Amino acid sequence: MKKEFKPNEFVQEWGVLIAFVLFSVFVFVKFPDVFHNPLTWRNLFSQNVDVGLIALGMTMVIIGGGIDLSVGSMLALTGVLGLSFLNRQMGSGSESSAVLLSALGMVGIGGVLGAINGVIITKFRVVPFVATLVGLLVFRSLALAYANGGTITSSSKNEWAKVALTGVTLPVGKAGMLIPWSVFVLIAVALILGFLLNWTPFGRHLVAVGSNERAAKYSAISVDRVRLWTYTILGLCVGLAAWVASARLNSVTSTTLGQLYELDAIAAVVIGGTALSGGKGRIWGTFIGVLLLGMITTTLVAAGVSGYWQGVVKGGIILVAVLISRGKREN
Amino acid sequence: MVRLECQGVVKEYPGVRALGGISLDFREGEVHGIIGENGAGKSTLMKILSGVEEPTEGTVSVAGNLTKLKNVRDGMASGIAMIHQELNLVEHLSVAENIFLGREILVGPKLNRREMNELAAQYLADVKSDAKPTDLVGSLPLAQQQLVEITKALSCNADVLIMDEPTAVLSEREKSALFELVKRLKSEGKAIILVSHLLGELIANCDRISVLRDGEFVATVQASEINEHELANMMVGRELGDLFPVKSTPSMDKTLLQSNSLQVKAGEVLGFAGLIGSGRTELWEEICGLRPGELSQSKNYAGSISRGVVYVSEDRKGAGLHLEFSVQDNIVLPWLGKFGKAVTNRKEVQTCAEGWKEKLSIRVPTVASRVGSLSGGNQQKVSLSKWLEGNPEVIILDEPTRGVDVGSKAQIYEIIAQLANQGKGVVVISSEMQELIGLCHRVVVMRDQSFAGELEGEEITEQAMMKLAAGVQSA
Repeated sequence: MKKEFKPNEFVQEWGVLIAFVLFSVFVFVKFPDVFHNPLTWRNLFSQNVDVGLIALGMTMVIIGGGIDLSVGSMLALTGVLGLSFLNRQMGSGSESSAVLLSALGMVGIGGVLGAINGVIITKFRVVPFVATLVGLLVFRSLALAYANGGTITSSSKNEWAKVALTGVTLPVGKAGMLIPWSVFVLIAVALILGFLLNWTPFGRHLVAVGSNERAAKYSAISVDRVRLWTYTILGLCVGLAAWVASARLNSVTSTTLGQLYELDAIAAVVIGGTALSGGKGRIWGTFIGVLLLGMITTTLVAAGVSGYWQGVVKGGIILVAVLISRGKREN
Repeated sequence: MVRLECQGVVKEYPGVRALGGISLDFREGEVHGIIGENGAGKSTLMKILSGVEEPTEGTVSVAGNLTKLKNVRDGMASGIAMIHQELNLVEHLSVAENIFLGREILVGPKLNRREMNELAAQYLADVKSDAKPTDLVGSLPLAQQQLVEITKALSCNADVLIMDEPTAVLSEREKSALFELVKRLKSEGKAIILVSHLLGELIANCDRISVLRDGEFVATVQASEINEHELANMMVGRELGDLFPVKSTPSMDKTLLQSNSLQVKAGEVLGFAGLIGSGRTELWEEICGLRPGELSQSKNYAGSISRGVVYVSEDRKGAGLHLEFSVQDNIVLPWLGKFGKAVTNRKEVQTCAEGWKEKLSIRVPTVASRVGSLSGGNQQKVSLSKWLEGNPEVIILDEPTRGVDVGSKAQIYEIIAQLANQGKGVVVISSEMQELIGLCHRVVVMRDQSFAGELEGEEITEQAMMKLAAGVQSA
């Protein structure tokens, strides 16, 4: 069978990239003051790193046929635990070793919390939606209880913030454009997950589990183990996100950090062309999805549109993205 | 040499004894057929032999050694591969990725795509498949997917191959290619277990045939020493009359449905023949308003139903029934309005379903049982009840006996004849030509989405239908 070119398929496959490119050109021309300024781009990148990391991990979970609503609360809990660990370490050892230990600690805490979700889902057979809804409530509550409803501020003078505030300066514009290390973390995670998904047995098993669980089982794949890993991977990503977010803000507010992040992350995944029903998805799509959502927010601010309207625009974009990636309506 | 053997295998599910002590052996270089009615325990036995399930009692030996098969992995490791009746493929993965699913070839931590594709291409050539290793399985036609499934089992280098209804979705040409392959595998010393409902197919291709009935072993016979009639009687345990009821002679003067040149008359059984993909299902789905097109006379399926035209899908599990629903809930689903305006009268629903259970002799403990737990034949009867409940004028049956055993088949044929006698129009879409010959007054043959010809009465023969379906010019 020869594969013929169908515009529909082309748009389905590359739609999000085309939209991203067109939108970039549009804002570049329409809002030169804002988008010719390297600072805008720097903020755009660095502010979306935490949602981006979560969205990348979320892509894996969704491809496996799952969902995780607990990520925002998990971010807050990981953040408060990690920062207070940092503050305790600051008293006892050198600053750089404390920072390193705490960063690793955050990733570890995230991984453990993700694995807890995974165990509840695979071993106790609780539907992902419900299991992680429980996580959303419990993790936030624990974060509030631990921080007494307040904010924990990093006592590291400058080392902790370095990942979010220092980086590589590109020779753009007069002052140059600083790409913080955190953005490289995001890119590295995207590359690693992309490799994992497309080039390893784990990735193929993940697609198999999400697409046809029975077929996976009959191919002697341990469905539960694959699923457990996706939630753990997402947990690790949340840990990384907690690290860069707390570095950027130099503090973690237990009441607000990560609020509604689960929805932003899921939105980015969907815009990127990953099917919510599982079995079909891509990491690069999510990456573009995050950037597109971030750019839209920046543009609305630049255009002076009231923040109240952001939901309408974002919602519309998500709807269009889903309509396109679904292609022609099936009978 | 005996490759695989089971002894005294018993399998009990809560409340059901699916297998009551089965002992069989499967030998090197032999094709061993397994046949039995609905619920005879064939599928359960195959699941135990391949490691999907463990027996409650009894043992399994591989090449003479007692072996515990705890899961599919154990089965594969012991050289037993199963080709499942429902395709177990991942449509979002490529052909090669499906073939090597669960035992991928690596370079370092990375998939060795090139080697997997090369090997897959060899395996595919072995089974004469046109599919390319890089094709997405979801984009292939059903018959090609079946070949991929077979390729997957072969690529494990299994010594024992279990094929559960392997020809259900294959056309005649593909079937003969498959049996060529079976013959070759046999000469290579493999033991092949062939589970099928098609008596003729088993007799033609097996060395020995074992018959199961109600979970019990009936007999093992030499295929060369038995005919279809004897085999069918062993299966059902009683004398089975001719499979097909006597054809009526409809008056053909009343037209129930007309779409362009196509007419369905009152009292007739109209057959639709053609190869897979010739557009039979699509045509009728369009006429019923299930897919958009110029032929739909109703805006949607509801409109078609209200005009008395109903369609019984070939895809029982996907489109025909809700497997998680009970028998009664499935039957009344399209007609809920009849059972109370605001609140459904459960009592009436139950009475209605019990009526159908009685009338079509559906074998099920109660009408509250889950449809998914029934065998193919009984599911089909539920599907029929569901649409007959609306007392339609025209009933379109798409592959009404696919995956159905001989006993239920005869019953379904009887129902079809009765419907025609009552003055209904029955359309039978089928790939089994014997069925069309035995049932139909007229047969329309389709090829490449259009009508290739129409046959009537004595003209309906296998050769005539094949010629039209394949597009061979008659001399």
